[in-house]
Amino acid sequence: MANTASPDGAPRAALALLGSLTGVALVAALHSRSPAPATRPSMKAPAPDPAAANRAARRLNRAAGTLAASVLLDSAVEHYRGQFENRMMYTPLVTAAMALGVSAHGTMDQRQTSHMVRDTVYLLTALVGVIGTGFHLYNVRRKVGGISWQNLFYGAPVGAPMAIGLSGLLGYLSERVRETPPGQRPMIWGLPAGRAVGVASGLGMAGTVGEAGLLHFRGRFHDPFMYLPVAMPPVAALALGRSALGPTGEDRRATRWWLRATAILGLSGTVFHAIGVGRDMGGWRNWQQNILNGPPIPAPPAFTGLALAGLAALGLLEDHPDD
Amino acid sequence: MSDDPMTTPRAMRGRAPDVFHPGGWVPMKEYPQREPVDFVVIGTGAGGGPLIARLAERGYAVIGFDAGPYFRPLEDFASDETSQSQLFWTDERLVDGANPLRLGSNNSGRAVGGSTVHYAMVSLRFRPEWFKSRTLLGYGADWPLDWQEMWRYYAQAERDLAIAGPVSYPWGPKRPRYPYRAHEINGAAEVLARGAEAMGYQWAETPLATVSAPRGESPPCVYRGFCRVGCSTNAKQSQLVTYIPRALAAGAEIRDLAMVGRIAVDAAGRACGVHYHRNGAWHFQAARNVIVAGYAIETPRLLLNSATDRFPEGLANGSGLVGRYLMTQSNQAVYGVMDEIVRWNKGPPSLTITEHWNYEDRKDFHGGYCWMAQGPLPVEWSAALSGSRRLWGAALREKMGDYNHQVGLKMVGEMLPHFDNRVSLADETDRYGLPIARVTYSWHDNDKAMIQHALGEMQRSLELVGARDIWRQENDTNHLAGTARMGSDGKSSVVDADCRSWDIPNLWICDGSVFPTTGGVNPSLTITAIALRTADRICELHRAGDLRF
Ligand SMILES: Cc1cc2nc3c(=O)[nH]c(=O)nc-3n(C[C@H](O)[C@H](O)[C@H](O)COP(=O)(O)OP(=O)(O)OC[C@H]3O[C@@H](n4cnc5c(N)ncnc54)[C@H](O)[C@@H]3O)c2cc1C
Ligand code: SF4
Repeated sequence: MANTASPDGAPRAALALLGSLTGVALVAALHSRSPAPATRPSMKAPAPDPAAANRAARRLNRAAGTLAASVLLDSAVEHYRGQFENRMMYTPLVTAAMALGVSAHGTMDQRQTSHMVRDTVYLLTALVGVIGTGFHLYNVRRKVGGISWQNLFYGAPVGAPMAIGLSGLLGYLSERVRETPPGQRPMIWGLPAGRAVGVASGLGMAGTVGEAGLLHFRGRFHDPFMYLPVAMPPVAALALGRSALGPTGEDRRATRWWLRATAILGLSGTVFHAIGVGRDMGGWRNWQQNILNGPPIPAPPAFTGLALAGLAALGLLEDHPDD
Repeated sequence: MSDDPMTTPRAMRGRAPDVFHPGGWVPMKEYPQREPVDFVVIGTGAGGGPLIARLAERGYAVIGFDAGPYFRPLEDFASDETSQSQLFWTDERLVDGANPLRLGSNNSGRAVGGSTVHYAMVSLRFRPEWFKSRTLLGYGADWPLDWQEMWRYYAQAERDLAIAGPVSYPWGPKRPRYPYRAHEINGAAEVLARGAEAMGYQWAETPLATVSAPRGESPPCVYRGFCRVGCSTNAKQSQLVTYIPRALAAGAEIRDLAMVGRIAVDAAGRACGVHYHRNGAWHFQAARNVIVAGYAIETPRLLLNSATDRFPEGLANGSGLVGRYLMTQSNQAVYGVMDEIVRWNKGPPSLTITEHWNYEDRKDFHGGYCWMAQGPLPVEWSAALSGSRRLWGAALREKMGDYNHQVGLKMVGEMLPHFDNRVSLADETDRYGLPIARVTYSWHDNDKAMIQHALGEMQRSLELVGARDIWRQENDTNHLAGTARMGSDGKSSVVDADCRSWDIPNLWICDGSVFPTTGGVNPSLTITAIALRTADRICELHRAGDLRF
């Protein structure tokens, strides 16, 4: 019963279980020899397929929706904790809810044209992300000590609004992919869509790793599993970056599996965080306090959203090879 | 059987309270009284706790005695300021001198875990030069310890207590990163920071012995601010939840509510055991070594009370210095009122610090001081308002109305050692029939100069951040030290660098009383580091054949 740094009892068992699940996913990611789906067009025969573009767009809607859901719940908890002391603090709730709504709509929408409402909401959401980041930065800088560990740890999280911004960006990209004219390859900003989406999600993932790393450092990585979100997603992001920037014909299976493992990691993160909440004073019996003070349960699926976007990018790259 | 820890011992019949689980127990080894154990340690606080744990972990048979109760933090500590008095040594003591000390709540605990059960958790290192303050800074006395070696033991203590501190500490030589990240600072701590920045001084989050993230069975701090009433969550890393459980796991025994009245000496002049009072009767425990860790008043009292024909002036007192060179630390404060809501009681009381004047030597007095943010709870605050500011009735009620806007800065300052500041024995006896301590204390010119300097600086800091209704609390002192100083020869000191008494080779003193000077920071981390070193030294001496068993 000595007071050491390792977790105990039931949490330990649950942690072990989750860890092994994640580990299995990881091993599967590394060793999988699963054949490519039969539907995948041959690498050397680019035949732009509007149905494929639509599928990719809907995948992106799903990714944007996952991110939006994570932000909606997370900012609801965090800003409630901050007592909504500034009315601007409702903004992320409203925009994330709207982004979630249009993402659900987009995920089900089989049409091959972009949708004005969706497009507008996504653009607005991206904008709110940028403005929110500005606000949070201002909040941190205004505090005594300015940009310091204290304020990065406990001030408004600088990275958090970027998550909603990314949701908006992914949604916006989805609309661009969706409106690809029949017979053409999806392009965004003059780039093949798969590459643009891949780079954007890779960068988003890197930023999210920064945020998780900062907060887990604040928690002194007191549990070894806290290293997972700073160890796995960077590999996924790098692999994705390589796939997005590299030659078309490359084998992307490893990238795909890393992304899948990262998506699972994001989901299992909520369980890890729930266990973390249980380690605060009073455990889950004292949930009203501990949900607010413990690790944020809705935050980790941001990784899932970005991994899904990465998978959509891979799909685009494979459906529409550009050389 | 009653479960009142104040009246009935809990560590009995092969088990001790499991401090992490309500109603739980952990197994505890028990040693027979007749057979000598390797070590008896008197006191289980900042000095005793780590010694008991480390010696037991090295395989020695150890018993830790404490006059105080064995608390179960999750059950016994209420979020109620008035329950606090149970933690303190409130037995009678006489105080005199030009500036009689106020004893009790602010300087002496009595519990398994010692004063660390209710201390404010501030965990600071000495400035290296203070270990040689006579040679390097021209005042006080040199310690027989090397600061670089102490630096290593500080690091070990910080790891053992999971200190939460800033990522980089602005003063002094490089130290390893604190094991846990600093806590979020509260409104009062922010006022200190803004004041320090306005003065061009550095500030930092105070390194604290309460965790900012889970550790084993300790949940992170919940910032309710009842730390000095006893932390009811176990976030506080007192000896009670750190070294004591380690000690039990390693095979040590703890005897709570066991007051040691006398150390016995055999015909050869060696310590051979202790007479202690427990469960309404006196008992004797035989021992090969006795380590006294009762803090700066009870340690000299016990040594003096143990006088024999052979040692008529008390044990370990060949130098005549037992009880001499008592030091306290100046703990004056400046308070003010802010326009905005501050809520200074939220969180541990001292979340930020400036050690500027510990490291700046351009001043016209000796020694250093730091100041920290404050957050007294309402009862303590009303006592300060009535006691120090002399407010009563309607005026007091009105000022209490400002409670949530109140801010304060409090110094911890180095008082210099003086021969005449001392602990001696009075004629009166306590409930055990033992002569009580007489504590004589007077401030000297250097002490007064430092206090005035600090009050001026703290006031300027509050003025610069726009506090109003500023007033000074000029009479407070807190931590104790000295009375069994360590040194490099038996004439000018009571113990050597290993905390071994010069006169009786198997009698050791290892607590705050061995400090030759007290420095301008809170003492507990230094006490713990010394205890860790002593445990290592005991093993080395044993290996070298310099210890008889
Ligand atoms: C309110 C308060 C706040 C403080 N805050 C801080 C802080 O923030 N930072 C810091 O560094 N320091 C702080 N201190 C000081 C710190 O707690 C002490 O300096 C330190 O604990 C002293 O360690 P010690 O081992 O010498 O004695 P203690 O920790 O006091 O332990 C002595 C123990 O010995 C027992 N004992 C004494 N005589 C006998 C006997 N004859 N028989 C049996 N048992 C005996 C006592 O019951 C007691 O439990 C604070 C003190 C108080 C009172
Ligand atoms: S503020 Fe933290 S350390 Fe103090 S009593 Fe509360 S939980 Fe314990």
